Amino acid sequence: MRGAAKNIRRFARHFWRGVREWCGDAAYERYLRSSPSQGDGGRRLSAQEFYVQQLNRRYSQPNRCC
Amino acid sequence: MRAAQLFFGDCGVKRLGRILIWVTVPLLGAGALEKIALDRGESLNAIWFVIAAVCCYLVAYRLYSAFLAAKLLALDDTRATPSERRDDGRDFVPTNKWVLFGHHFAAIAGPGPLVGPTLAAQFGYLPGTLWLIAGAAFAGCVQDFIILFCSIRRDGKSIGQMAREEVSKRGGFIAQLAVLAIMVILLGVVALVVVNALKSSPWATFTLAMTIPIALLVGVYLRFVRPGRVLEASLMGVALILFVVFAGQWVADSPSWARVFTLGGVPLAFAIIVYAFAASALPVWLLLAPRDYLSAFIKAGAIFALAAGILFVRPHVLMPPLTRFIDGSGPVFAGKIFPFCFITIACGAISGFHSLISSGTTPKMILRESHARFIGYGAMLLESFVGVMAMVAACAMTPGVYFAINSPPSIVGATPDAAAATISGWGFPLTAQTMSGLAHAVGEQTLWNRAGGAPSLAVGMAQIFSNTIGGERLLSIWYHFAIMFEALFILTVLDAGTRVGRFMVQELGGRMWKPFGRTGWMPSILVSSAIIVGMWGYFLYQGVVDPLGGINSLWPLFGISNQLLAAVALVVATTILLKMGRMRWIWVTLLPMAWLVIITMTASYQKIFDANPRIGFLAYANALIAQIAAGKIPAAKLMDTQRLIFNQRLDAAVTAVLALMVIVLIVEALVQWYGILSSRRAPVLHESPYVQTQWAAGYSGVAQGDD
Repeated sequence: MRGAAKNIRRFARHFWRGVREWCGDAAYERYLRSSPSQGDGGRRLSAQEFYVQQLNRRYSQPNRCC
Repeated sequence: MRAAQLFFGDCGVKRLGRILIWVTVPLLGAGALEKIALDRGESLNAIWFVIAAVCCYLVAYRLYSAFLAAKLLALDDTRATPSERRDDGRDFVPTNKWVLFGHHFAAIAGPGPLVGPTLAAQFGYLPGTLWLIAGAAFAGCVQDFIILFCSIRRDGKSIGQMAREEVSKRGGFIAQLAVLAIMVILLGVVALVVVNALKSSPWATFTLAMTIPIALLVGVYLRFVRPGRVLEASLMGVALILFVVFAGQWVADSPSWARVFTLGGVPLAFAIIVYAFAASALPVWLLLAPRDYLSAFIKAGAIFALAAGILFVRPHVLMPPLTRFIDGSGPVFAGKIFPFCFITIACGAISGFHSLISSGTTPKMILRESHARFIGYGAMLLESFVGVMAMVAACAMTPGVYFAINSPPSIVGATPDAAAATISGWGFPLTAQTMSGLAHAVGEQTLWNRAGGAPSLAVGMAQIFSNTIGGERLLSIWYHFAIMFEALFILTVLDAGTRVGRFMVQELGGRMWKPFGRTGWMPSILVSSAIIVGMWGYFLYQGVVDPLGGINSLWPLFGISNQLLAAVALVVATTILLKMGRMRWIWVTLLPMAWLVIITMTASYQKIFDANPRIGFLAYANALIAQIAAGKIPAAKLMDTQRLIFNQRLDAAVTAVLALMVIVLIVEALVQWYGILSSRRAPVLHESPYVQTQWAAGYSGVAQGDD
């Protein structure tokens, strides 16, 4: 019984993290974990700057289909 | 179970279970297919469609995709993917395979698999359903999977770049031009579907109009209040959208407000053109991105709800397996079952546009090569399932109602009584009272001649939903929810497509005059947005004013162009496989490619040259010229008729140019293939060099400390 509860909690945690990654909530955290990019002069972008840059890049190539 | 465990041992039980499953699934699938194909005389339960489709998908995934992964592509998990080698936290982001499946599916799933099968239901449920299943398993999924694989091996290069490097420079240029041309047609056609759904419907128009301020609100929240908190902002936006769907009935009931939001086809077309121009030119965070978030959530929710509704209600399919319209005389669109069933279904079975996504963001985020099977092949199977559900929803309504909603007045008659008599004469009993009662029940002024697929699908969905929750009382709410859902994500395709088209125009223009290529320069943004909107806007306008119903000319044009792009993708895939030395398995891409070339070329020829004015563009133009010469066109309509003649000739020219481009590309590829096969040319692959992965075997994209 305790094992089942643990499994459910584990699944719920994974599911929640998956949803956050899918919708883009976790994108900035991901960015902070990656190695600093050369393009930003070595400095980290703020959450706001990252969000806008991310959108500009994503919507300049086909990302929605028929 | 215990006895089996004792007899076979632990591993033996698992193996036995697997054997039992893989014996049962194909048998069940074959039984369900037999039921669908051969059942006559009694109405068929929709659950057979679900069983047949799911079992076929499971078998195709288990066997065919495993064969492609192991033998044809030899996926290699020891090889580092682009997301590992170039991880920058932005484009190249190692992503868990389930999350990436969600991303990829949200990107490929558009209005096509909903609208195409709904229109193809005029042939009956059988041909469309069979093509949806078989086409996906042997063509659509194969294309998506192999192009994804090719792009992973090339650091996420686009289909155009791969065509340039692997086929020829000219091939790459043609592929890029084809993408732009196809995008223009696609946007014009899907915009027409929205116009036909919103025409004379204050409730639907109000709901969709309100999604714009809601998106602006979400955009401002995400930019300034809580940057990047997409989940909470989107849930807030979705709640507001559901509220405006409900509130739409108050607008429809108020005579003064209803008048404001009751728009004809032409004003609606211009409103959509202005909207798309604004969405393309404004900063992306303000309107385009937040709409996309809202659309993704509602899309996921509505597709899940439709599947649950079909399983819960298990409606009976009332459309016959085959109708008399397989002879080409269909009222929804003209043309025989071959090739037009395949052209019309398009995206649910194979979509050339998917090759842009499979060679876009997905390959840059994939964690392991082996995930390409689940994401490339699996997501397309799910898209095909959406198509099967749309077919069920369209075929579960009374056939007479289906034809009444989708047929133009020039075919069935202008008055309700005349139209009901025509449709009843085809063997699909219908009365004018049935239609007025249904329109009243769904909260619309009329449901006659609302061609485009969206309203009939919405009626089908609303009937399924209301049988699950709310009954007749909520039919009108469900109908407008379904219309909003379709229109919302068509508009998302429109604004995102317009913006991407704008970049393509800027890139092409930048070759002639450098400053025009600067994507941040405002004059260039405005001019390029106006050019792309003007191009698809013209097709939209021509569809809106077409007396035969624009869908009759434009949906086949869209289908042809989409399938031509798929042929382009398969030409590139075949060339790469040949260079990889996979001659033995080359039929995997060669056969679907040959099939697509046959159907698109046949359809193109018929659309241009067929003597029937409802099929052939030139025949229709000539018929109009003859009418003018005979003095049958009143002077007041002369200008309109001249424009109609020009439009038909334009459509014929566009079809011919698209088909010619693809023929040139195929000839380029054939020269390459001949060179490789006759050993005159050494096959040069442009893959990124092999780098061994540094990740442990069980790494699934979960960062340390997350667990």
